[in-house]
Amino acid sequence: MMETLQHLFNGFGVAMLPMNLLVAALGAFLGTVVGMLPGLGPINGVAILMPLAFALKLPPETALILLAAVYVGCEYGGRISSILLNVPGDAGAIMTTLDGYPMARKGLGGVALSISAWSSFVGSMVATVGIVMFAPVLARWALAFGPAEYFALMCFAFACITGLMGDAPMKAALAAIIGLSLSTIGLDSNSGVYRFTGGDVHLSDGIQFIVVVIGVFSISEILLMLEHQHSSAGMIKETGRKLFNWMELKFTWWSTFRSSVVGFIVGVLPGAGATIASAMTYSMEKRIAGSSGTFGDGDIRGLAAPEAANNASAAGSFVPMLTLGVPGSGTTAVMVGALSLYNITPGPALFTQQPALVWGLIASLFIANVMLLLINIPLVGVFTKMLSVPNWLLVPGILAVSTVGVYAVHATTFDLMLMVGFGVIGYLLRKQSVPMAPLILGFVLGDLMEQNLRRALSITNGEIGILFESPISIGLWICAVTMVVLPPVVRFVLRKRIQPDQATV
Amino acid sequence: MSDRILGAVCVVVAACMAWAAQDYVPAFSYEPVGPRAFPRLLAALMAIGGAWLVLKPSLVGNPLQGTPVKLIGLSAATVFVYALLFQVLGFPLATAVMAVPVGTSFGGNWKQSLVGGIGLGLGFYLLFDKLLDVVLPTGILSFIFGGR
Repeated sequence: MMETLQHLFNGFGVAMLPMNLLVAALGAFLGTVVGMLPGLGPINGVAILMPLAFALKLPPETALILLAAVYVGCEYGGRISSILLNVPGDAGAIMTTLDGYPMARKGLGGVALSISAWSSFVGSMVATVGIVMFAPVLARWALAFGPAEYFALMCFAFACITGLMGDAPMKAALAAIIGLSLSTIGLDSNSGVYRFTGGDVHLSDGIQFIVVVIGVFSISEILLMLEHQHSSAGMIKETGRKLFNWMELKFTWWSTFRSSVVGFIVGVLPGAGATIASAMTYSMEKRIAGSSGTFGDGDIRGLAAPEAANNASAAGSFVPMLTLGVPGSGTTAVMVGALSLYNITPGPALFTQQPALVWGLIASLFIANVMLLLINIPLVGVFTKMLSVPNWLLVPGILAVSTVGVYAVHATTFDLMLMVGFGVIGYLLRKQSVPMAPLILGFVLGDLMEQNLRRALSITNGEIGILFESPISIGLWICAVTMVVLPPVVRFVLRKRIQPDQATV
Repeated sequence: MSDRILGAVCVVVAACMAWAAQDYVPAFSYEPVGPRAFPRLLAALMAIGGAWLVLKPSLVGNPLQGTPVKLIGLSAATVFVYALLFQVLGFPLATAVMAVPVGTSFGGNWKQSLVGGIGLGLGFYLLFDKLLDVVLPTGILSFIFGGR
């Protein structure tokens, strides 16, 4: 424990460097804006900024601090448009509309904005403390992982992300397979064989991660935005009290705290993310409140709980990424890709080899959260003004910045064309409700997964049994199978139980 | 219906993958699992997934219904042309040109969009190229902006 605190102290040394403080503030600000804009979520924000961070030649820890601040900032920003427009700014903020918008309509917009900023802050802080407590332990434990265990772990991650993807697990699985297949393009470093390049020199190095991410999340998002355009005409002016009072704070305290803990746990699980965490805690609080609650009609607890949970889960998803090198969400998958640009492979060794990076990141999460609380309570007016930036200016801007990011890596037209190709394919897939997060996860993990599989099988000279030998890998396989089998079974049982009294939703 | 198309496309892609991968045999092998196995495994999984979608498509109606196909085609074409001419026209000019069709697709009139596009082109050029040192192409306007 003392050792951990010592590391954290050093981490604050890194995070407090003027450059990193500046970057954290910038990231927090940009993140809030991106999160607030409907249609753009953390994954888009991180994807668009990642190539720029690389092009600006920021050192890896600074780049990671920027991206992390953007990620956390997005979870703060999503609530603003939920409350004022009844349009969730990002997927994690869907539940926030249920009680946030009614509160704003009752003239409590200012209170809703400030209390949700506060519960976002509590959620993030609880989860960041959680990272400090659990991440080093998990990393030490994971040092014992061999290639077979890693392979099983990655299968577990895929099982989580596909099993929890709601109504279309098969499509999520297909997305993951497409991502994995894309990662095999290029030179196979073990044997010197070129795979799926079609003889093209541009592809011999494989496809750039940035090209895929920007194509799939930025270009296709622009095409999707064409379909549901909306105007900010329905925006409610925040009126009355700006700040919540002591009573409201006390009233929501336990909901906020409980939801933070649940959100953190959900966030640590690979695959489950802010969306699931906020939905879970909302229904949990609704049940706890019972008949005393006015959920759906402007109950302040129904606002505080999902906000705390989505922030906590965002921070929690750093745990598997930093300790195991296996990202638990689409956004952290993009961050792993960002690290790979710096030739850094996240994993348990990261804690021993790059303590400045890991602990600098954790410390800057604390700092970024304080900054976010500060800019989100007094300065919320600045952000609400930004909601009225028209799309005809915003969308070309996003497109220009995205293209600059891709261009900055290799400065070739080929990469830009490939980006557009991925944008169109991504758009078509998303239209078919194929989720993109598993695709990115597959693309990021593909090489690692194949290498670990081949290394494991090299040990036994091709005997496949090694994958199921150690207790750790057996445990992981059982978890993976459970993740795939359990959700449909649960859904089936729930449906049976719900059918008699369909009135309740 | 469209689930079936998606599934069929997956099966075809998987078949192409498996066909392309059959030659991936190294001259020397140091390991039991060569470069061919993993792509083949993926091709098999993709074929299974695709076949599943063909046999058991979800019962959602046509997702293309209500899609502004023309608008999306126009925007996709614009992005394509933007990518193609990015180096030739240079960033400031290409961005100004791109902003007109994209801006009008998103509810602006063409005058607003053009002015906005010129602003974005110049603003981002100054920000990235001059201030942040991310080199951008200047293309045919290099006599004004310098650079390539």
